[in-house]
Amino acid sequence: MMRTVEVLLVIVIIAGAFTISSFFAVLPVPRRVSPQNLRMLAATTLEILDVNYDLSRIVFLNENDPAWGELQIALSACLPPNIVYNLTVYEVITDDGIQLYLPKKSISNAESLGIGSDASSYLVASSNVTFKFIPEKIGEKWGGGTLYILNCSDARGWWITGYTAHTLAQDLYNLLSPYFKTTIMVQNTTDLAKILNGTSLQDETVQHAVVINTFGETVPIPSGYYATQGYYAPRDSYSLYCYILGQKTRQFNWTWVSIVGYPLYYVSNTDLFPNKQNTWGIYGMREVGSAGFNAFLRGLNQINYSAPWWDGSRWRDAWWQDQYGNWIYVHGWITGDYRSNPGLASVPLSLEARYYCNYYGVYPSAYHTATRALPSWITSTYNLTVTTYIFNSVGGWIAGAVYRHRVSGALFALGLTRTPDIRLTALGILCDYKPRLYPLQYTAANATRLVVLQLGQTGGI
Amino acid sequence: MTGSTIDHLVATIVFLSATLLFLSLFNQTIQTAVLYQRHRYLATKCSDLLDNMLLSPGIPSDWGTNSNKNLTGFGLQDPIANQDPTFAAYKLSPFSLMRLLSSAGDRVYYGPTGKWYSNVSWGFGGGYFLLQEGDCINYSLASKLLGVNGTYGFQLTVKPTVTVTIVEDTRVTSHLRLNITVEGLGGPLNGANIEYLIFWTDSAGFYKNITKTDALGFVYLDFNGTNGLPNITKVSLNQTAYTFIAKANLGGLYGIGYLSREIVTKAGNIIPFIESYENGIILLAHKWGKNDPGNQSQGALHYEATFYMLSESFIPVRTSITNSTGHVNYGQGWPYRTVQLPPEARSSPGFLVVVYKFGNEYGMVVMPWGIGTIGLSVIFGDDPSGKEWVATDIRQVLIGNIAYQAKLALWSLGGFQVVG
Repeated sequence: MMRTVEVLLVIVIIAGAFTISSFFAVLPVPRRVSPQNLRMLAATTLEILDVNYDLSRIVFLNENDPAWGELQIALSACLPPNIVYNLTVYEVITDDGIQLYLPKKSISNAESLGIGSDASSYLVASSNVTFKFIPEKIGEKWGGGTLYILNCSDARGWWITGYTAHTLAQDLYNLLSPYFKTTIMVQNTTDLAKILNGTSLQDETVQHAVVINTFGETVPIPSGYYATQGYYAPRDSYSLYCYILGQKTRQFNWTWVSIVGYPLYYVSNTDLFPNKQNTWGIYGMREVGSAGFNAFLRGLNQINYSAPWWDGSRWRDAWWQDQYGNWIYVHGWITGDYRSNPGLASVPLSLEARYYCNYYGVYPSAYHTATRALPSWITSTYNLTVTTYIFNSVGGWIAGAVYRHRVSGALFALGLTRTPDIRLTALGILCDYKPRLYPLQYTAANATRLVVLQLGQTGGI
Repeated sequence: MTGSTIDHLVATIVFLSATLLFLSLFNQTIQTAVLYQRHRYLATKCSDLLDNMLLSPGIPSDWGTNSNKNLTGFGLQDPIANQDPTFAAYKLSPFSLMRLLSSAGDRVYYGPTGKWYSNVSWGFGGGYFLLQEGDCINYSLASKLLGVNGTYGFQLTVKPTVTVTIVEDTRVTSHLRLNITVEGLGGPLNGANIEYLIFWTDSAGFYKNITKTDALGFVYLDFNGTNGLPNITKVSLNQTAYTFIAKANLGGLYGIGYLSREIVTKAGNIIPFIESYENGIILLAHKWGKNDPGNQSQGALHYEATFYMLSESFIPVRTSITNSTGHVNYGQGWPYRTVQLPPEARSSPGFLVVVYKFGNEYGMVVMPWGIGTIGLSVIFGDDPSGKEWVATDIRQVLIGNIAYQAKLALWSLGGFQVVG
């Protein structure tokens, strides 16, 4: 009998242990076992409502404005029927460095949010407030970060009709200098020779720089070494200078920027060519023709200047004569225009370029006319990769793009007709380097509101 | 002695019975807890997997527009949004979504090419989206790339948050009347602003205007030459065809819908098949056999195809395409014609409108280029019906500026018990 009593006592103890452990081992309600991520649903809901800044606009409106009703309808419409919400807008007030959140307006579709809810917040700025930002400096992370703007006083431009190289250089400086560690105006061809030699002008980094040629189809040429070494006497051509520019672009991993027209079509130095003109009456420059750009591409791709080339059916000398006896360098004229390719009459900005228009606040026209679009075959011939399309490619012609060489160096060519739009140059460089913009401060006090969307589930247990 | 033995026996039996009872009770509690834990893990995995799909453009990031590149990482985010220095998050590529092998409708086999096509839309509202399966990403590959092959099954549904339904009012025969209803998931969008485009057979291009829905999210448009609207007649006689696209917005929420007047003439009608995604090659195929009109006529069906790029500003830009006009017919003639989109159009969202006619009968079909242009839905993956325990999660996403919902259903294939 005693044993039975003892066993009964053991049973009581085990039952007690079970009861106590069951009391502590509380299982969650089924809804919490397999929950929807309400926090992310709330966050993405706020994001889509602000896609065109409608949410940012509405939360700053008067509390009785009908737009609040629209927001409530939109909220109800975009959330599943079993989700209840509460959206509260707080005004953010900064007082002596302390941020206070004052509730301004709340909208909801239920009295309570059930047994469990989650929330996300979204900070918006008033649409009529401008704010300052700090741009990320190109080169901060990966080296380089120097912007050279050719502003040589001893050279003249072509196809920059209506502007001078100096005014274009000044505009570019204003647009782009905030994004670079160092921006240097190359004031004369002597300074140009220095950077071609790899010599810093103001302790800047020459390597990995961006060099913008503001002279349109013309490129400044320094007197002395480069004028001598860049002259190919057998054909009375300065295309050898363009070849050297290609080599230097590769050597220093530059991004060479041509803002309009046919790149490197003329060379200019008013001291070097005081009596020479470009056949259009502009003195101080000499025509190089299509040989200049072909030579540049060869220099960039490290092909010997005089090396023969395969024209698809046979090998030719670098310089060869056409049926009229004209001397042609390699491929000769390679650009396309709208007369032979109607699609180039109105080329649209690429989606990427349009996107970054909004980000950087640079708004050139969405359509342009290309008369010097580059053929897409240069990418395979010269080992180039298009890293950024400024304009959509049209039938194998590229009106504006950044071409990066497989080894080193890059070219950004805008093959548009004159007059140049300098905003396209700025946009192209920013599209390719993508420096971030860090918000700094709002220029108006109390112009920020915090929107908190809290979601709960109804039905079930 | 006997009493003591009996006492021991009774005590042992009672003790063993009690032990077994309590073991099973404890085991049941533990089992339930383990199941709950697995369910919770499945829900967490579902949320993570959905974010993995939506917050990465995949590798290579432009796989949506370049079908010749091998996909080594699965993701649906718009690569431009991905490059955004502020990281615009849940914005999806309209092109990557196009390439998902649809599990919404039956696959379509087209005899003249001998190929199968992924069926996203087969003629709903006159809209077609049929992509050759060779250019599609299938469920198996996506599972492998996501690292869930053999462990989890999933189905991804991306559908518009706002439904814009457009119906032709057939009671009105003197002119074209369109009834438009705008609804969200939780009810109608009353007072929604609507921008719309209409292209009809007598027009030179798209006519654009705006209107607003009433308290029930409804509005109708009478194209009878009054209130500044054009006069569109002879629709009921099949002598005028049209394509109508409406974009609704309210309180920051955007939705889009369409209607194209597709008819089956005595010479059949036309369906567009995307033959080569990479090269933008579209077959305009004679629909004979699918909607067999009978033996009345086997004449040629003349067509004119036009491609429009449609940006977020909702302004259609016409783009020239090859073989934009021609004819197709049945039998030995031309079962299909090939048109090609220019390279610049292949990376821009837009739509192809095909007008066809036989005698004085006109029909029109539309094919989007980029999911989201006319508000199509995408269903990708396995079927969750019949699975033991399915976890779901939802994100609000954008395609262009159109609001969509991405819903992922996930279930375990691991073999362990998920139901108690």
